[in-house]
Amino acid sequence: MFGGVRSMKRSAVSMAAISLAGACALSLSACGSSGTSVASSGGSGGSLAGQTITVYSGQHEQTMGKLVQDFTARTGVKVQLRSGDEAELANQLLVEGSASPADVYVAENPPALTTLENKGLLAKVTASTLAAVPAGDSSAQGDWVGLSAREAAFVYNTGKVTAAQAPTAIKDLASAAWKGRLGIAPSETDFSPVVSLMIKQQGVAATKTWLQALKDNAKVYGSNEDLVAAVNRGDVAGGVIDHYYWYRLRDEQGASGVHSTMSYFAKGDPGALVDVSGAGVLASSKHQAAAQAFLAYLVSKPAQQIIATSESYEYPLLAGVTDTRLSRPLDQSGPIASPAELGDGKQALQLMQSVGLLS
Amino acid sequence: MTLTSPSSSAPLATRPPRSSRLGGWRPGAAALPLTAMVVALLVACPLGFVALEAGQSGWDATRQLLGRPMVLTLLGHTAALTAVVTAASLVLGFGAAWLVERTDLPLRRTFTVLAAMPLAIPEFVHGYCWVSLMPSVQGLWGASLVMVSSLYPLVFLPVAAVLRRSDAGAAEVARSLGHGRLSVLWRVTLPQCRPALAGGALLVALYLLGEYGAFAMLRYTTFATAIFTEFETAFDMTSASVLALVLIALALLIVLLQAWVVRQRGRVVRERTSGRPAAPIPLGRTKPLALLAMTALVGTAVGVPVYALGYWLVKGSSTTLPSASIWSLTLTTLGYALGAAAVATAAAIPVALYAWRRETRLARAVEQTVYLTRALPGIAVALAVVFFAIRYAQPLYQQAPLLVAGYVALFFPLALTAVRSSLAQVPHAVEDVARSLGTRPLAVLARVTVPLILPGLGAAFAMVGLTASTELTATLLLRPTGTDTLATQFWTYTTGLAWGAAAPYAAVMTALSVPAVLLLTRRTLGDSRTHTTREAGR
Amino acid sequence: MSGLTVTDLHAHHGRNDVLRGVDLTVKDGELACVLGPSGCGKSTLLRIVAGFHPATTGTVTVGDRVLDDGRRRERAEKRRIGYVPQDGALFPHLTAAANIGFGLPRAERAARVPELLDLVGLAGLGDRHPHQLSGGQQQRVALARALAPRPDLLLLDEPFSALDAALRAELRTEVAAALRRAGATAVLVTHDVDEALAFADLVAVMRDGRITQSGTPDDLFHRPTDAHVARALGEANLLPAALNGDEATTPLGTLLLARPTGRDDAGTVMLRPRQLRLLTRADTDSWTHTLRATVAATQFRGHDHRVEVTPAADGLDHPLIAYTDTAPPPVGTSVHVVATGPVHALPAAGAATTAPTGDLARHQAR
Repeated sequence: MFGGVRSMKRSAVSMAAISLAGACALSLSACGSSGTSVASSGGSGGSLAGQTITVYSGQHEQTMGKLVQDFTARTGVKVQLRSGDEAELANQLLVEGSASPADVYVAENPPALTTLENKGLLAKVTASTLAAVPAGDSSAQGDWVGLSAREAAFVYNTGKVTAAQAPTAIKDLASAAWKGRLGIAPSETDFSPVVSLMIKQQGVAATKTWLQALKDNAKVYGSNEDLVAAVNRGDVAGGVIDHYYWYRLRDEQGASGVHSTMSYFAKGDPGALVDVSGAGVLASSKHQAAAQAFLAYLVSKPAQQIIATSESYEYPLLAGVTDTRLSRPLDQSGPIASPAELGDGKQALQLMQSVGLLS
Repeated sequence: MTLTSPSSSAPLATRPPRSSRLGGWRPGAAALPLTAMVVALLVACPLGFVALEAGQSGWDATRQLLGRPMVLTLLGHTAALTAVVTAASLVLGFGAAWLVERTDLPLRRTFTVLAAMPLAIPEFVHGYCWVSLMPSVQGLWGASLVMVSSLYPLVFLPVAAVLRRSDAGAAEVARSLGHGRLSVLWRVTLPQCRPALAGGALLVALYLLGEYGAFAMLRYTTFATAIFTEFETAFDMTSASVLALVLIALALLIVLLQAWVVRQRGRVVRERTSGRPAAPIPLGRTKPLALLAMTALVGTAVGVPVYALGYWLVKGSSTTLPSASIWSLTLTTLGYALGAAAVATAAAIPVALYAWRRETRLARAVEQTVYLTRALPGIAVALAVVFFAIRYAQPLYQQAPLLVAGYVALFFPLALTAVRSSLAQVPHAVEDVARSLGTRPLAVLARVTVPLILPGLGAAFAMVGLTASTELTATLLLRPTGTDTLATQFWTYTTGLAWGAAAPYAAVMTALSVPAVLLLTRRTLGDSRTHTTREAGR
Repeated sequence: MSGLTVTDLHAHHGRNDVLRGVDLTVKDGELACVLGPSGCGKSTLLRIVAGFHPATTGTVTVGDRVLDDGRRRERAEKRRIGYVPQDGALFPHLTAAANIGFGLPRAERAARVPELLDLVGLAGLGDRHPHQLSGGQQQRVALARALAPRPDLLLLDEPFSALDAALRAELRTEVAAALRRAGATAVLVTHDVDEALAFADLVAVMRDGRITQSGTPDDLFHRPTDAHVARALGEANLLPAALNGDEATTPLGTLLLARPTGRDDAGTVMLRPRQLRLLTRADTDSWTHTLRATVAATQFRGHDHRVEVTPAADGLDHPLIAYTDTAPPPVGTSVHVVATGPVHALPAAGAATTAPTGDLARHQAR
């Protein structure tokens, strides 16, 4: 009961998961009060207060802004927030190398973090921080920690597709029924994890066949934003996106402007992918303590509650914090794809390139 | 008329000779080529970065990379788009310029300003407006439509300037030799505009090579898309750089082609010597048709984006009154853009002067090199600046000067084109004469050359300021941490799908650009014969 | 002390040798004119003297100042040499007055500018911009601007070529007069022989990067050292002759030489068209020797007639030119050509002062 419903679900996967869930449950009592403990250590010790850390963030800017503000109020650590495209920021970090002014990098998806990890640019995350979220949501090496999750979903135009017609397996999108009616955004960092999972489950050959069919069926969009808007307008009947894009669209269009809804792929299907956003501390950071404190804060209850109520519409990862606005809780979804499973996404990428979905 | 005058008897040689010591080779002789080359070298830094990164790719990896099925397809896309958009921009740009400069089209002044106005609308706003209003605008033809309607002014303005200044006599002679209006247009007027057409086409084509953002919105993949995939999905800078080299090779081809076209018939456009403008050609019965065509052009290129912005301002439910911060964002944006405009314009002077004064192969090569950077995608240029700054200018890293430097690297060719074309109007002898009157080279620059090319400098300043104020990719990477510009804020909202909230920022960006376009139009077209009056003896 | 001396000047543009050993001396206060066809290097010579183009070897001296010795150059702005280019090259952004005052210290402008406007006859037009002035007025401003700082030497590069004929004649006379009054040393380059003769105390004929002859206009006109110079100063009839002391035997008979050559060999004599007279058969009695010829072409030029006749004699394969005051007989008429006055014998090929070897032969063969 400490571990929360979601980690119970995960515990079904393996014994290892159970023990990890236990570890997480144990640490949660600490995590639960970590917000206050960080604050008090900042207030009394004064060692961190007054320091300034630089955060490169590929995350939703407004949400990140709220988190940073709250963190500074609690710890006295000033944060210089640098928001940008997660991939561009990752490239920037790669070019900067050890001279980077960044202390923390917050990404939307694991591949960017994994790339940095593989280049040895990230420092190990403090154990207590890693322990705050389910172990599978963070880097296996402990170089970065998961903060929130998003779920792949099928968005469809309610005028063109009925709920019954919505696919339950992502494989179905290869069928001729979807020819010319489908939209995908394969260049988005969110899409290649789906392909990675497909490769894991079905093998390379089957995935390639599927991608080829997908290419024939689908219109290719440059971004999920464009795709979800196109579905809502009815340019295409449906498409694969991350769930939060639809919520953000709903906010923008208002009730009268929404002509679309979402369905989810069946549990265990590669389409039912739950993907984490994570953060890591740069190995070159000169403010390791403050940077680690920021990561600890991000997985603390106050921070996770901010995530649960922000316009980013991502699932918080901390047990006990839920976003009640989302149509279904995360624990009804499939398993969170472990970063180890997803790797750096190179294989998926090459496959997409070989069939011409990507250049 | 007589030269006789009693006071003229002052002997010429009564002043005692100054020191007869020889000066030797003045250091200034090497200063100009040196400065020009240093500027070119700095601007070409991104090329160096790309070459450096690409150099790490093995031969096999390179072959595999370039052998991908999509690479050829995308090269085809880029070639098709470049050909279609450049050709259409030439036709529309020339047609519009001819109508407003040489015919009796009504409302010519208004049309001149309106036809230049698409420059005030940032490209991504163009794309976003079309997509949000007319989703069917996509693919090659959609991308072409959007690109032409935002890029044709790059042809329109220089051609209009040439038509306004060039001698109408040639056209009249051709008429007297029995050529009809169309024949004159084709055989006399068009060749007169050749260098201007080639210059405009160069800017359009180079822009298209490296552009990615607008096409992504229009669902049209180009070669730049492949480069982006390598950068942003694969985090593979080496592969991205190899592909970028292909782009540079294409750019080189275009630059050389342009130079060849210009050289074909010499670059001398005869200036109007009579001081008499050409009599407007009566359009007669085709007047309504011409009026309709002009209205359609302006309506498409300016009307649609303005309508779309208005629509989102009113309709978007995320529209709130933009916070007071929009004003500070405006100031920040202006500060960076004006800084970049000033630096780029100043830096363009030595390069342009060098190419103008010495028509050597080296000078031409230096000039042409800087155009190549224009073909690189913004992210490659931005990462190159990161690469060099973090190594050699660490204290400046992520400081305002570096962002300005990034803008300069990106938009230098725009400044160079403007300065170069106004220098072309200056007779070489004026500099010689000024020096024979005892003026030092730097003073000659300040007192003669710069005042003469002021219109060109104004145009360069406006053009760079205009483009830099809407730049996004390099801004995100190079801006000082914690500062935002209008473009980054617009981007933040649109990535959050909050179009309504984004619209005010696009509107402010557009509004900011309007004065710059007016300045640009005036500077580029301003009558060459009325120069700034300056008091003698001041 | 501001005469110009140019010694053995060589220069090149890229790979082309433009000057191949130019020697020229212009005395203080002299107006010199370098005459030559376009492309002969005369503008380059001027630009080297002005300091805009480097010499390869050779020296340029003004007064006692060495300006260029092929290795070290005085900067153009330190030379105190005024320069008036072909198109005037007025600063289009400055008024006439500001153009003239350009090379003057601020303090002097107020006094000197009106003086110069006066000098060039443009008093009251100082506020005009170049585009508000006529071509002739623009050239006057350019001249005044060059004179304003009281240069040691003034260089004029075909300054009147853009003007119409009447204005050109008027302006060059005025300019020459003004320069003489001012005691200026000046070098003008032109391809127009009338301009050279009207303007200059000293004419230097230039060809293929060298000065072939220099001297007073009279000297050059009457005593050219080679065929090229002879023709550069005006039309000339060059006839083969056998020289013998103070006489020359030619197809026109034996003629007295203006200056004995002291040679007894074959050579060339020059007769200006005014030295030929055309006679009808009836008038030939008083002449010991005449040459039969046919009128090939005539041209009335107002002040005289230009007549081309084809001689019947062997060895004269090109027409002779004569200027006559009275109307010539119609084309096709047979006439007798006689020579009047002493003739000038061109120096033998090897003896020509500066003419390159072989030049003479080439010209005669033509």
